[in-house]
Amino acid sequence: MSTIPRHSPLHHDLDLAELRDLVSAIAADPQQWRPLARSDTAERHFEQLWRDDHVDVWVISWASGNDTGFHDHDVSRGAVAVVEGEVVEERLVVGGAPRLVRHRAGETFDFDASHVHRMHQDAATPAVSMHAYSPPLWRMGSYEVEPDGTLRRRSISYAEELRPLESAA
Amino acid sequence: MPAVDIHQHLWPESLLSALSLRREPPMLVRRGSDWSVRLRGEPEAPVDLADHDPDRRAALVHADGLDRALVAPSVPLGIEALAAGEAEPLLEAYHEGVAALPGEFGAWAAVALAEPDPAALAHRLDAGFVGACVSAGALGGPAGFDRLGPVLETLERRGAPLFVHPGPASSADGEGMPSWWAALTGYVASMQTAWHAFAVWGRPAHPGLRVCFAMLAGLAPLQRERLIARGGPAVSDPDVLLDVSSYGARTVDAVLREVGVDRLVEGSDRPVIGVTELPLGDAVRTALRERNPARLLSTTTTEVPA
Repeated sequence: MSTIPRHSPLHHDLDLAELRDLVSAIAADPQQWRPLARSDTAERHFEQLWRDDHVDVWVISWASGNDTGFHDHDVSRGAVAVVEGEVVEERLVVGGAPRLVRHRAGETFDFDASHVHRMHQDAATPAVSMHAYSPPLWRMGSYEVEPDGTLRRRSISYAEELRPLESAA
Repeated sequence: MPAVDIHQHLWPESLLSALSLRREPPMLVRRGSDWSVRLRGEPEAPVDLADHDPDRRAALVHADGLDRALVAPSVPLGIEALAAGEAEPLLEAYHEGVAALPGEFGAWAAVALAEPDPAALAHRLDAGFVGACVSAGALGGPAGFDRLGPVLETLERRGAPLFVHPGPASSADGEGMPSWWAALTGYVASMQTAWHAFAVWGRPAHPGLRVCFAMLAGLAPLQRERLIARGGPAVSDPDVLLDVSSYGARTVDAVLREVGVDRLVEGSDRPVIGVTELPLGDAVRTALRERNPARLLSTTTTEVPA
């Protein structure tokens, strides 16, 4: 935890390159994230590694079948580094099939605040990923596609996504 | 995890009795079947004794969807600030009375300010009090932290939290002012002052102390950009939490944006204000009522998000 400020500028919101650098630096330092990763959970497991005025950093452990559903990050941009296993990022395409990108251990990707995506884990082995958001997550949008194809957005607190009820048990 | 409201008030029979025997503020005054409380610095206010009925209040704990409520001394009464001889019987009445409340209740210990007594506090903690409640005005600068240093050191050593509560009002807030005046002016200013004072003088002296500020610390966290612009410290303190008393969804969400959900706890100020449901989702509700109070009240040092 103590090495995060070294990676984080602290005095301004991070741009996409800085966010990618941050998650890459943390990914390369397993001492930081390994104690927070979980391989024994059926649900996604979230641990906050850091939060300050400009960035929050999470270690997320994924079990097979875990699925975020489509969501946005309101005003936050983000970057992800996969450190174990693999995750699938899906983007909604109006009138077409979703666009899928598979991200494997060692890969990073980023997204701006206008990005809408869904992440899921479909491999047999668990995955672990580092996520950084700037400015820190606050509100998020949660999307549902109705049976008739119409899209609905629900405004939720970031706690709904990253402090779900299972982790309070 | 149990669902906890960390900020309620209940004047047990022993305290009501002691206050009604007094002939100067703070005192209870009876006119026929009506009771009111007379304080220095605030307009005389009616008191509904049903609000302080332990069985009725215990039922409300469950009706509010809670398992437990923590009773705090009513700092605005000004008891802690009285001369030692005057304060002692009232504080004894408070401690004795709240210790005998039904199992739905826990309580914060009060601290006499004339002669802060760490040994007395240690005794209260042994007896099951969750921590100590101190007025924001007593922690408004370096002299306050010096004076209360041994008390805070006792809390820190025992892993018990400090609860910073507004009041008492200043004497300028008395007759002729609206009933809400002190709550929106002096209380806000003193909570903001204590928040900044804790960062400057409290935290360096007590690195392991967990603290909860009532009423979102008078919204001090929302002053953060101004604080940094004026050269103040940019450090976030994960062991300083805030209760949401008297605020609604819009303001709680604004502070949540500044400090994150892990630093907010349910604190209703019942019976002054009732417990309100914040429409911020089940995850926020669970964080405020279960997860975060458990961390605040834990007697062990836990790994927490920074």
